[in-house]
Amino acid sequence: MERRSLAFSVFIHMAALLLAAVILAPLVWLFVMSISPAADLSAKPLRWWPQTVDFSRYALLLSTVANSAGAAFTASLRNSLLVSGMATAAAIALAIPAGWAVSRTPTVGWSLSLVIATYMLPPVALAVPLYMGLSALGLLNTVFGLALVYLTILAPFTTWLMKSGFDTIPREIESAAMIDGAGLWQTLRIITLPLAAPVMATSALFAFLLAWDEFFYALLFTSDQRAKTLTVAIADLAGGRVSDYGLIATAGVLAALPPVLIGFLMQRALISGLTSGGVKG
Amino acid sequence: MSALDIIGVRKTYGEIETLKGIDIALESGEFLVLLGSSGCGKSTLLNIIAGLAEASGGDVRIGGRSVLAAHPKDRDIAMVFQSYALYPNLSVHRNIGFGLEMRKVPAAERDRAVREVAKLLQIEALLDRKPSQLSGGQRQRVAIGRALVRKPQVFLFDEPLSNLDAKLRMEMRTELKRLHQMLKTTMVYVTHDQIEAMTLATRIAVMRDGRIEQLGTPEEIYNRPATLYVATFVGAPPMNLLDTVADGGRLVLGDNAALPLPQAWKDRVRDGRRLVLGIRPEALQLDAAAGPAISATVEVVELTGPELVVSASIGRQRIMACLPPRSRIAAGQRLTFAVEEDAMHLFDAESGLRIA
Repeated sequence: MERRSLAFSVFIHMAALLLAAVILAPLVWLFVMSISPAADLSAKPLRWWPQTVDFSRYALLLSTVANSAGAAFTASLRNSLLVSGMATAAAIALAIPAGWAVSRTPTVGWSLSLVIATYMLPPVALAVPLYMGLSALGLLNTVFGLALVYLTILAPFTTWLMKSGFDTIPREIESAAMIDGAGLWQTLRIITLPLAAPVMATSALFAFLLAWDEFFYALLFTSDQRAKTLTVAIADLAGGRVSDYGLIATAGVLAALPPVLIGFLMQRALISGLTSGGVKG
Repeated sequence: MSALDIIGVRKTYGEIETLKGIDIALESGEFLVLLGSSGCGKSTLLNIIAGLAEASGGDVRIGGRSVLAAHPKDRDIAMVFQSYALYPNLSVHRNIGFGLEMRKVPAAERDRAVREVAKLLQIEALLDRKPSQLSGGQRQRVAIGRALVRKPQVFLFDEPLSNLDAKLRMEMRTELKRLHQMLKTTMVYVTHDQIEAMTLATRIAVMRDGRIEQLGTPEEIYNRPATLYVATFVGAPPMNLLDTVADGGRLVLGDNAALPLPQAWKDRVRDGRRLVLGIRPEALQLDAAAGPAISATVEVVELTGPELVVSASIGRQRIMACLPPRSRIAAGQRLTFAVEEDAMHLFDAESGLRIA
């Protein structure tokens, strides 16, 4: 590394700290809100730090007593995990063959462009046809129906990501495997997919987050605990006459945990550069 | 029995014809080098032999059997790629053994074969490493090992040395030659490097624009180039080409320079015909007694170490000569070069073809 003056080092660190503070401030405030007594949150002037720490809302939301706020919340947590998980798994399962095919056969690239183009349509434009479709299939207010709708959003996105991932894997490696006698499936399983693991993990993570945060379709296509997802459940918390901001913040913290956890778990797979060394340079 | 027959192979991409009918028959144990500049179709031809590209016409036979309909894995070939194309996620051991693994060779037998090849290529110590932990030369050896271990009927090499530095390239070249002498397997080798072609090949096919310009042994290619293109492609520095006109038993090179027309060509060349006279730089000598002579004015003198490269001018034409390094020559000097008659090559100026 080149030599730097002390002042410059200080400046770099200050800038990094500032950036971190800006990004983390809302999260910190969310957490502070979730453990502040209700009175503190409505006090004037605002109390930035709670006088007493109050974790009761966490207990409330995670309780499983029938017909309580907790039951609704845990049900929506389960629904969200199910819907996002299923949609992500299906999207990746579709994206691997589709992305690979488009990457290795540039002449069919137009089909992917076409699919991506539908992506540009605003959800509002598709809401009514989707509603009628789901209704006809009897899939309204089910996790499967919602997962299916999410799949239409995730599959083009993941296919496109996977295609760019496959593009970086030299075709010669697959040609070599072919001459060595590997079948298509063996080539994919032993050579290509391990090399594409980082981009697969990235696609899965982004797809999961996209599904996890979706609100509009979830609001339209679900109506009760059987299928309502977290985003809708949190909106419900704010929907009554009296809004408990602390409760909403608590739900927010809890809703953020699963994606953060998945991100941590996938950290290793996200490290790219696994392809280095196979070909020159 | 011929090991590899390429019969009238053509390849078209839409309107563009990249291979315009290639015919080559290789005996078992031959080392064929496809030599040409980029875009001449040599890699396409190799890919057609390998089965990675489809021919638009013609036939490819390996051991007498047409393989055009066969999958690459069923053609009994192995290929070494320019980029090595190692499997980055597998160990060197598994990289080399991959072909055997896919062919369901038992693990013990596979291990023995891999170790044998590794020993041959001196990469035994690297078997547990991943390709990313190897140097360029080592990767090249692994790629060759992966081809060797399968003991195929034909080896295909696609510019295997072009990513190595000059010193390593020379070492690997010698090694490849040694391997070929030992294994006596048929090899097809694509390169644009004329030194590789000259040193490795038993036969060279010089390709240009989808055609074979000349197919012959390295000696034939060097000593009797069939066309102007072949003449300039092989040899460094390249052959001197001097525009000339036949006139009364002489080849007129300029205002007051001329060489006598060698006896062998006398009845084949009419007066006034435009020709190109080719003389290899290393065929020019300072000893005036060696043959017909031309005089030239020295412009630049470069000492490469083993030889002195002299650039000189004959009227408006340039000529290069490779002379012994001890020669005392200075720029501006007037020199007389002697050429033996059989070191002269004569080409038709229009068609570029050799005049026999």
